[in-house]
Amino acid sequence: MPTTLIKNATLVDVNGLAESPSDVLISEGMIRKIGVGLVSPDGATEIDGSGCLLLPGLFDMNVHLREPGREDKESIATGSAAAAHGGVTGILAMPNTDPPIDTGGMVQSVRDLASKKSSVQLLTAGCLTKGREGKQMAAIAAMAEEGVYLLTDDPSPVADPQLLRRCMEYARQFNVRVASHCSTAALVKDGAMNEGPMAYQLGLPGMPAMAEELAIFRDIELARLTGCKLHIQHVSTVRGLDLIRQAKTDGLDVTCEVALHHLIFTDEAVVGYDTRFKMDPPLRTAVDRQALIAGVVDGSVDVLVSDHAPHTDFEKSADFNSAPFGVSALDFVLPVVNDRLITTGSLSWGAVIRSYVNRPREILGLEPVSVSEGSKADLVLFDPNARQTVSIEDFCSLGHNSPFIGESLQGTVRYVFVVGRMINFA
Amino acid sequence: MTDQPRRKDLLDIQSLSVDEVNGILDAAVPFKDLFKRSVKKVPTLKGKQVLTLFYEPSTRTKSSFEIAAKRLSADVTNFSVSTSSVVKGESVLDTIDTLQAMRTDYVIIRHQMSGVPEMIARHTDASVINAGDGYHAHPTQALLDAYTVRETFGEIAGRRILIVGDIKHSRVARSTSRILKMLGADVRVFGPGTLVPDDRPEWLQAFANWDAAFAWKPDAIYLLRVQRERQDDQFFPSVQEYHKFFGITAQRFARVRDEGIYIMHPGPVNRGVELVDAVMDYDRSLINQQVENGIATRMAVLYWLKPQSTPLPG
Amino acid sequence: MTKETIDTALDRVAASIADRYQDSSPVVAGIHTRGVIVADRLRAKLAALGCGVRSGTLDISLYRDDLDNLGTMPSLKNSDLPAVDGVDVILVDDVLFTGRTIRAAIDGVTDYGRPRKIELAVLVDRGNRELPIQADYVGETFETERTDYVAVHLNETDGEEGVFLLRKS
Repeated sequence: MPTTLIKNATLVDVNGLAESPSDVLISEGMIRKIGVGLVSPDGATEIDGSGCLLLPGLFDMNVHLREPGREDKESIATGSAAAAHGGVTGILAMPNTDPPIDTGGMVQSVRDLASKKSSVQLLTAGCLTKGREGKQMAAIAAMAEEGVYLLTDDPSPVADPQLLRRCMEYARQFNVRVASHCSTAALVKDGAMNEGPMAYQLGLPGMPAMAEELAIFRDIELARLTGCKLHIQHVSTVRGLDLIRQAKTDGLDVTCEVALHHLIFTDEAVVGYDTRFKMDPPLRTAVDRQALIAGVVDGSVDVLVSDHAPHTDFEKSADFNSAPFGVSALDFVLPVVNDRLITTGSLSWGAVIRSYVNRPREILGLEPVSVSEGSKADLVLFDPNARQTVSIEDFCSLGHNSPFIGESLQGTVRYVFVVGRMINFA
Repeated sequence: MTDQPRRKDLLDIQSLSVDEVNGILDAAVPFKDLFKRSVKKVPTLKGKQVLTLFYEPSTRTKSSFEIAAKRLSADVTNFSVSTSSVVKGESVLDTIDTLQAMRTDYVIIRHQMSGVPEMIARHTDASVINAGDGYHAHPTQALLDAYTVRETFGEIAGRRILIVGDIKHSRVARSTSRILKMLGADVRVFGPGTLVPDDRPEWLQAFANWDAAFAWKPDAIYLLRVQRERQDDQFFPSVQEYHKFFGITAQRFARVRDEGIYIMHPGPVNRGVELVDAVMDYDRSLINQQVENGIATRMAVLYWLKPQSTPLPG
Repeated sequence: MTKETIDTALDRVAASIADRYQDSSPVVAGIHTRGVIVADRLRAKLAALGCGVRSGTLDISLYRDDLDNLGTMPSLKNSDLPAVDGVDVILVDDVLFTGRTIRAAIDGVTDYGRPRKIELAVLVDRGNRELPIQADYVGETFETERTDYVAVHLNETDGEEGVFLLRKS
């Protein structure tokens, strides 16, 4: 196993940045020693970390990898490489592949594929309903036995509340958390963006906030009724978040996540009909955006995610109504967090570590990761001052549907360590 | 009036300045004057290629553009698009490639999806004229409506225009209300609650019933076309009920006539739905005038726009 | 040219026209913008000479051959011509230069009908023709280079009277 010594990096943990730089020695996949003036052992690789931050690797619990079925959009190899490129050392893949991951066998085969092809720790979620069709319960017990980490029909809601109730009652007994993409189909219909004055002006069919909030309310009540653990995926509205806060206050085991783009953009971005701003849930209002940021700061938002959803250029070059939802986000997670949330004063590094490093691993029951002696060496050496202009050639992901193409971002990932194995982006 | 800088495209009303709008309306006056001559044609766009690209059927708008282009001596090609065979997404990309290959100077496009003309405009040198996209915009309709109001009343500022009907799904309502507002008119709306969205701009106030609308003393009532399929989508129970509660019935027409209110409609009219037959013969119906003004304003638009393929000054 | 020489030149032009059109009453059509003013003055002088004419104005913007080169939309004015079928039309402009404006004006007039004859009267002929066009009545002739600039200022549009020749050094 390779040995690496990182010199003079500023360590980051849940309390923020360390006051002075340290050296970190990595070997056999673990952090062996942290100190000042450490000397390289024979044969060790030495990396100068001056001016850089050393963070524990992020864990992104909402990504869409498209393998099996749509490897033209993304594969486990390209998607996991994109994750590492963005400073993410662990991902939870959503089960909406083709075929969907809805049996124990599928979970097992994804795990096998991951062990061969993935650059980062790759876990999979499973479907709640067979084929994600919302008609019959999927093989929940079999998937649980194969170690599925979350059950969800994302990016679809389970429309039938009776079926979702049954799924929760059943999943509860295997101690698997149920996750919801919250939406009410009849209210959304062919909606393409947030319902509001912008949608009126642009003449695009709207997706009302209430369609999401009603579903959040319903799913929380079902969790209350069944006692099942519930995770609300990519909440995007102020009232939705308030419902989740109330559930937490009531003592329910309800967690939630927010997608980065909902912290950064609003529906004003849709002017110009740029399909890279078409997401589900849609970009909401400035009020929602501010409330979500406040939620991350106060901890009511448990987790940050990218909701990475790559599409082909061809698919995204359709008109706004017809184009698919989603954004290719993994490649630039950390630079975007730094440029759009940290340097703007919206979030602290402490909040980012809590919601993008610690909480997702806690919720999924994974081994914690930190920059401390004895921890698994999942690390990111990040230069927070090196500016880069994002271009298509920079993507490891096959999806180029990113609003940041052509934008300048402050911050560049230099090295990523996954269980001590070094990936060099310098 | 000073000369207006020329633009490449006409995509919506929102991006135009008041001066630009007035420039187009002013230019339309001499174009309309040409219709009195025996030779109605001028050689202005001789040798230019105009392509009409209609993804949605519309005989009158297409004809209006075609006549306008031909009266400017442009060569007009109607690119027929089979709406049934349009594959999602594919159509727009293919269209852009086709346009570039055809080296056309002007493209007049209508599409059922909002934003498509803007997408195409970004990727072609040709001047793109939006002839209606989704619910978004119909700028030449707005211009001809503004022209008609100006011609009828002399001045648009201070006039009261009531728009009646399906505001929610109407690009005409969006563009025409905006242009009239820009030029100083007071514009209000009336229609079924399902079709008058709360997300409309604040200045676009709505009436709850006809009595309140009449009490406001509108100078003109602009009736929008009722899409019959909306009754199947449950926006209102039936066209009969629509006519009774939101249409110009015989009784309401009597009031319209007594008060000398002008009637406008973008066409084609659903007789017995938006209005009773008798309105068509009303001497203050501006519907035919709107059609005639459509040609003149569209000529003015073609005259004003400047395709990128043409050389720059100097 | 000064206010006085402009006036004398127009007197001369009016006298020649009156000489030729003693019985028929031609259409004297000014080309927008300053041609219209020159035509107005000519008509007044002709009236004083007892020569009755009909008036008309012509905007040739739609007949220009250089629209592609224009970055701004030339504002259009109404053309106002009486019936021209079988009658004599005298086009009036301030300056005759390349001849392209007159070519456009001839096209414009013939779209209104088929005149018996079209003539041309100008205040200044500055030469440098690009088309085979000549004026029938000329107030004053200037020897100029292609790149020189001839500015006609009239009270009605410019608040002063004078024709200036600006040599390009």
